[in-house]
Amino acid sequence: MSEWLRRIRERAEKALDKKAKYGPDIDLSRYNRREPSDASDILRLASEPAKRIGLSEKEVSRASYVQVDERIWHGMIVEGLRKQGVIVTSTGEALEKYPWVRDYYWRNIPVDLDKYTAAVELYSGGKGYFIYVPPGVKVKIPVYTCLLITSSWEAQFVHNIVIVGDGAELNLITGCAVPHKVAGALHIGVSEFYVGRNAKLSFAMIHAWGRGVHVRPRTSVRVMEGGSYVSYYLVHSDVASIQAYPSVRLDKNARTHTASIILGSSNSIYDIGSEAVLQGEGSSAEIVSRVIGRDESWIAARSRIKALASPSRGHIECLGLPLSKKATIIALPELESRVEGAELTHEAAIGKIAEEEIEYLMSKGFTEEEARALILRGFMRVEVPGLPLQTQKLIDATIKLLSEKATG
Amino acid sequence: MLLDVENLVVEVHGRRVLRGVDLHIGEGEVHVVMGPNAAGKSSLLASIMGLSKYRVVEGKIVFNGEDVTNKPSYERALKGIALSYQIPPSIKGLKVKDFVSAMLSKYKCSGDYFIAKMLGVDYLMDRYLFVGFSGGERKRMELYITLLQNPKLAMLDEPDSGVDIDSINRIVSAIRMLVERKTSILLVTHTGHILDKLVDEGGIDTVHLMMNGRIVFSGLPDEVIPLVFKYGYKKAVEKLQRLGQK
Repeated sequence: MSEWLRRIRERAEKALDKKAKYGPDIDLSRYNRREPSDASDILRLASEPAKRIGLSEKEVSRASYVQVDERIWHGMIVEGLRKQGVIVTSTGEALEKYPWVRDYYWRNIPVDLDKYTAAVELYSGGKGYFIYVPPGVKVKIPVYTCLLITSSWEAQFVHNIVIVGDGAELNLITGCAVPHKVAGALHIGVSEFYVGRNAKLSFAMIHAWGRGVHVRPRTSVRVMEGGSYVSYYLVHSDVASIQAYPSVRLDKNARTHTASIILGSSNSIYDIGSEAVLQGEGSSAEIVSRVIGRDESWIAARSRIKALASPSRGHIECLGLPLSKKATIIALPELESRVEGAELTHEAAIGKIAEEEIEYLMSKGFTEEEARALILRGFMRVEVPGLPLQTQKLIDATIKLLSEKATG
Repeated sequence: MLLDVENLVVEVHGRRVLRGVDLHIGEGEVHVVMGPNAAGKSSLLASIMGLSKYRVVEGKIVFNGEDVTNKPSYERALKGIALSYQIPPSIKGLKVKDFVSAMLSKYKCSGDYFIAKMLGVDYLMDRYLFVGFSGGERKRMELYITLLQNPKLAMLDEPDSGVDIDSINRIVSAIRMLVERKTSILLVTHTGHILDKLVDEGGIDTVHLMMNGRIVFSGLPDEVIPLVFKYGYKKAVEKLQRLGQK
């Protein structure tokens, strides 16, 4: 083992008991760590959970990176991308093949942030997707990646790295899911995204977990001068607990727009945030969340914009809609400025579906359930500027199904 | 008769808004309801539509031979009753195009771009339903939605109030289209412009005057409308009743 990696591992070892700031603490020793094995039946295993995140079998087979448990599969599309100089592989392989990848490994997130980042370093075995888009290359078609767990009490650790070179563009769609039969599991995913100067990255992530699954994503994004990062996150399933607080750091004139849609159910715990750090002049951020609380779900929607440079602009919009007497929604917008001249605003509201809207739609021929579904669909449907049409369509179709399910 | 309203008494939160209304509309007929503010005109339309806060205390509503007095509004809509609201609610988040597409599949019809263009609502498809709409845009959109429903009875609640002259012309064209389709119409209006146009075309069959929750006079448009504009509602009713034309 090389010296630099040994030092990283040492830091990770020391952090293995370090609790995270938010979310219930998880005993990692309760979960099994599977060894990589034959990947031949991966598509068959992937088909059911993939449907839950809106992907057909055909789409899965075209995906660039599919990881079922610890097995990895690459679709044919990877060959086409390679012709453009785009690299899609696992992070472990990338580290072995390309020494420069070290410059991006644990550079956005400290390996010892908490026990989860530490565990990813120690147990991921190089799993997770690595995507590199060379400067100036605009990847037209969305790149799909899927991370799926198919057996109970399994822990999945992944470390993803995405690098979009100066002036390049990438649209990435990631789906994470378990089949219905999985009773309990653990997914920990570290994602380090690097968006180059005047580059664009759009990232849509759809989560469909199960009642016993704990999820701890750790995402950090660096957007360089003039770059743009657009993110759309949707979680619509039961989960034991999910806690994530992705952070986006923005250099001069860089901008970000993030949307999180949380459709809470059963007694699941969702602690989900978004942070933007405006560290360059002219940078801007917009953080939007829509939260629906059903059953006995507990949902905290955190958002924070921190201004370290001026002029800069940031806005938070957090809207909650409890649909059950036992659901809890907490909206926590935070604004922090350390400079003069930053414009930071927020709007947070928790409300209810207006009866007159239901009444109106019913008078146009819709049953009460259909009327509620139409309104919920509107509530969940957030327009994200910069999201490609194909991605938006996938999201719209998923939202339509969900809104019908939410009222049915 | 397409619609028979018999001795309809309606309350809203315990307050009586209709005090025994009788109204009969045949297929393809155009009826106009006029009256001062708070006479019960909008309440009559809302009660026929079956909006939930309008509680029928007495009487019944028979539509197309079926007693619909206790049917929910969506069932009435699917049976062919449509209400074009005076002030529809803004629905943030619901795109016009999504609502229109839900309407198209509900009523199994195809979207008619010509109608959207004629009513001047084609450019509103990407907006949220009624959010930030001008008065004219709201009215035109409501009429467009009513036309999509292709109802047997279209109830139009002041489709011409608070709109500019261009919108009124478009609205009259839409009403004409309903007439051509042989749709029965129950129109609530205050202003002369839309009435002039419809009267000139001989499009109105009956004018009803409402006061204090009742229809107090029903007659031909040529007899009723000039008196209303000349004397106002109260005096016009007195004169009409004295003339014994009831």
